Amino acid sequence: MNFLQSNFALESLEKFFGSMGFTAFFSEMGWGNLVMICIAFFLLYLAIKKEYEPMLMMTIAFGMLLTNLPGAGLFHEELFAGGHVHWNIFGSHDGSIVPGLLDYLYLGVKLGIYPCLIFVGVGAMTDFGPLIANPKSFLLGAAAQVGIFATFLAAYALGFTPEEAGSIGIIGGADGPTAIFLTSKLAPHLLGPIAVAAYSYMALVPVIQPPIMRALTTKKEREIKMKTLRTVSKKERIIFPIVIATIISLLLPDAAPLIGCLMLGNLMKECGVVDRLSKTVQNELMNIVVIFLGLTVGATATANTFLSPATLKILLMGVTAFAVATACGILFAKLMNLFAKEGNKINPLIGSAGVSAVPMAARVSQIEGQKANPSNFLLMHAMGPNVAGVVGSAVAAGLLLSFLG
Amino acid sequence: MMNLLAVTGWGTSEMMWCALISVILVFGVLVLLVGVMKLFGVIFAEKPQHKMAPVESKPISTGQLHEEEIAAIATALKIYKSALHDRESEVLTILSIKRAYSPWNSKIHGLTKLPR
Repeated sequence: MNFLQSNFALESLEKFFGSMGFTAFFSEMGWGNLVMICIAFFLLYLAIKKEYEPMLMMTIAFGMLLTNLPGAGLFHEELFAGGHVHWNIFGSHDGSIVPGLLDYLYLGVKLGIYPCLIFVGVGAMTDFGPLIANPKSFLLGAAAQVGIFATFLAAYALGFTPEEAGSIGIIGGADGPTAIFLTSKLAPHLLGPIAVAAYSYMALVPVIQPPIMRALTTKKEREIKMKTLRTVSKKERIIFPIVIATIISLLLPDAAPLIGCLMLGNLMKECGVVDRLSKTVQNELMNIVVIFLGLTVGATATANTFLSPATLKILLMGVTAFAVATACGILFAKLMNLFAKEGNKINPLIGSAGVSAVPMAARVSQIEGQKANPSNFLLMHAMGPNVAGVVGSAVAAGLLLSFLG
Repeated sequence: MMNLLAVTGWGTSEMMWCALISVILVFGVLVLLVGVMKLFGVIFAEKPQHKMAPVESKPISTGQLHEEEIAAIATALKIYKSALHDRESEVLTILSIKRAYSPWNSKIHGLTKLPR
């Protein structure tokens, strides 16, 4: 019978099984996808069970999972090869590449939109009061940025190109959006490993910093009590973001997108006449952008780019950057104490908060300070260098972009 | 800004210079901001109230009330006054409102008629 002789059913089944993602695991580099899926599971575990920066880590891990599912076609590296957006492929209808959902969403990272929108939200959630009350905190924020440039040199010595080294160094700024912004411009192929490293280490600030803080300070230094900060007037709070955005943007135009957005968000919060906008950027906008940013950054972590010796080096360099930044902040605080009058001394523990990681790094300073002297409250003093670190890392990113971009 | 990397092929010394210049510039920009913020503080910070000139304490003569006694009397008066109830007018006002006739609020239509 013709019905039984026909190979149609067999061919259809063969075609169906051939299109299944499972079969792709047995192809060349298929093992890589499998390994990446396991890494994504591990990161999901860290985000959900251990609560390591869950807002971003969970979405990054899920993006990583989606992009490594063979055959799903959600993300195509070819569209962004060579660090450029290949608009001709996006627009073509020849069927060679059908852009997936994550390809479209990734444009927000590639064009530098998401990190800036996140900075608007961060600005609206940040209180610059402690920094305005004690402007010397800016120096501690600057000192912690030395970690970025030390790692920049170390990464170059390990064989990375200057652009890649700059992107790796910025991990030391402990500022996720800044790291993503700079890496998307300088070394987009390293976006996945750098984002994972930056957010992992930010979650590990309470583990990485305390041993360095204790090693570099004496008990007497940790016990130093600082004077209460002065009250900051509303007028100062309103003028601060306007002045900072203007000055930094004029000095460093490359830092303008980040600093401009940060200060815009802060002005929305402080001016008090656009409460609705302020609440929106702090909540709805921030949450939506976090979803897009996390998913698409995770999507760049494909087996081809992630499973390489470079990733291990980046993870190693990242923790070095954090450690050096922490140490530089503390040592600079001690240096400032040499010139400070008795009674105006700084507790060196607040120097470590110069790495951004707001407010985790300031909390670590508070905890370590209270261990040395339970009646010591360093949190507000540490918030000064902490938010100065955000400004400092954005300035450092602007400089690297102007030199290498 | 000019793309320096494209102009020059960088080696170790260029990288060192780049890092050094960047560190100096980061410090430079933030030191400038320290200056601006200090200036800012001088101009816009809320000035502390001028300290009141110390009032010379006069010797208390016989029959004159001491400040603490005045305060005690004032407090007692305050408590006494706050303990008093308000006197109400005791007049009740009932406003009669005339409503236009409507079968919907008619009592006659609402009552069930008794069977004959």
